[in-house]
Amino acid sequence: MSALARLWAIALNTFREATRNRVLYVLVVFAALLMAFSVVLGELSLHEQTRVIKDLGLAGISGVGLVIALFLGVNLLSKELDRKTVFFVIPKPLHRHEFLAGKFVGLAVTLALLVAVMAATLAVVLALEGGLHDIALVRAEVLVLFELWLVVAVALLFSSFSSPYLSAMFTASLWVVGRNSGELRAFAEGKLSDTPIGALLSGVAAVLPDFHAFYVSGGMLGDATPVSIHGSFIGWGYVAQAGLYGAAYGGACLVIAALLFARRDFT
Amino acid sequence: MSVLSVEALRKTFVRGLARRRTEALRGVSFAVEPGEIFGFLGPNGAGKTTTIKILMGLIFASSGTARLFGTEVGRREAKQRLGYLPENPYFYDYLTVVELLDMVGRLHGLPAAQRRQRASALIEEVGLGHAAGRPLRSYSKGMLQRAGLAQALIGDPELVVLDEPMSGLDPIGRKEVRDIIVSLRRRGKTVFFSTHILSDATLLCDRVAILVRGELRDTGPLGQLLSPAIDGVEVLYTADDELGARIAAGPGQHERTSEGRVARVADLAAANAVAKAVLEGGGTLLSLAPHRQSLEELFVQEAAAPGRGAEAGS
Ligand SMILES: Nc1ncnc2c1ncn2[C@@H]1O[C@H](COP(=O)(O)OP(=O)(O)OP(=O)(O)O)[C@@H](O)[C@H]1O
Ligand SMILES: [Mg+2]
Repeated sequence: MSALARLWAIALNTFREATRNRVLYVLVVFAALLMAFSVVLGELSLHEQTRVIKDLGLAGISGVGLVIALFLGVNLLSKELDRKTVFFVIPKPLHRHEFLAGKFVGLAVTLALLVAVMAATLAVVLALEGGLHDIALVRAEVLVLFELWLVVAVALLFSSFSSPYLSAMFTASLWVVGRNSGELRAFAEGKLSDTPIGALLSGVAAVLPDFHAFYVSGGMLGDATPVSIHGSFIGWGYVAQAGLYGAAYGGACLVIAALLFARRDFT
Repeated sequence: MSVLSVEALRKTFVRGLARRRTEALRGVSFAVEPGEIFGFLGPNGAGKTTTIKILMGLIFASSGTARLFGTEVGRREAKQRLGYLPENPYFYDYLTVVELLDMVGRLHGLPAAQRRQRASALIEEVGLGHAAGRPLRSYSKGMLQRAGLAQALIGDPELVVLDEPMSGLDPIGRKEVRDIIVSLRRRGKTVFFSTHILSDATLLCDRVAILVRGELRDTGPLGQLLSPAIDGVEVLYTADDELGARIAAGPGQHERTSEGRVARVADLAAANAVAKAVLEGGGTLLSLAPHRQSLEELFVQEAAAPGRGAEAGS
């Protein structure tokens, strides 16, 4: 109970820090502009108007969210170290892992709010153009949020032992590979199956975070069934499954980060 | 039971790929008892902040033990009873002092009403009432130091650890901090603070420890560390030239200053003889000041004694 209160004190502070950062608002405005632009683009594409708005809107939420998650995620710890605020906060009556968890939760809450704001903007734009922000789109947005949380967990892990620049590079490369995990796996199980390289690749694909699982519209799922938010989209069951996967993977990242953080000298 | 203690504490920093080693602490032991104001003195780079950081659980000792309230450092239960002001405090500069105190109050597990009430009382006590609504980013160094003091006290700690609490403060601010420290002792708290401003230590401390280049040189009440013996007496007087010349012919050193004539003699008996001669010869006695070793001199003397350090360090 009081452990939760302490965690929340750190989370609230992290939330305040993020929401008092102007860059955040610039990026959200950018997402809104992207949606406005999608209306113009939609006009050009005759009957496909709401389709274009949905596709671009979802991509905008994901893209802007990823930039913010990466940027704030890799700085979550290093900022405390650079600005020497750790000297103030670590001697307070809380455990180091509570501090780390609080930082994560604070950014997770910030991102949830951000996705909600951008989703609401998308809903308004859609309504103005006679479209509907349907439940399939909500599922897609929840998946986007899960992906952002996982990105933050990975970024936090890297930043617990390397500089923000390196952490950003590591996390971004992992994300690129993870988004294309399907291709990697297909490659490993197709042409290269039964070769050592194939085995290595499928091993890598199994260990790396499967970011593709969180952005499925317009792609293929498992046994090559096409999914799209316009037609047959995944159900809540899939969302829950992806969420569990993210929780397990992200949780492991946070535990390792906490172990690394626990014995560190703050000089 | 000691409130704070370190035993044979060592810390070696290892830097960079070349693994360059700096021995910041070379076996330091001392203990702070409940209810005392303990001064931790030493010149720049002596290892004061390093010792405090180990006690605060920020860095780990290379060997030796550091305890708070009888338990190994880093335990949450011990930190609950502790207030700490870092050296050159850095806080979340986007917060106001009210928000900062609220956050620390939450970490100490205080209910909301108590957080509010203590925060506003402390903000007044450290004299930040006029700036309570401003982000800390806009604070001057002295104002930050005051905010730091307030956040160290919001949990109503039994032990207050202050790393250079007077740095960056004007004379009025220094006096206010001294008053706060004294009032903490009156309320039964223990105060441990580091400083190299000797007059502050002289005014405040029940006991001090003097640290030089990672080694403890002395611990004890200031009065005992300072030699109680008088090492000279200064007599200030006015007299006409004839009387002045007569006195100057006696023992001691003599000179004329804008205030009058000064005789520096070895002991009180000699000083009394000078005073008698002044009065009997029709002069005026202005002052008679016995001179004892000051903390400042002790400090310089200790810091300039490298031989002892090398012996104990190996
Ligand atoms: N992170 C570090 N890496 C290497 N050496 C360090 C580190 N931190 C401190 N030192 C060294 O340890 C010694 C003690 O430093 P410390 O900061 O404890 O001194 P101090 O007594 O607090 O001095 P000051 O009065 O200037 O604050 C110094 O020689 C310093 O250079
Ligand atoms: Mg220091």
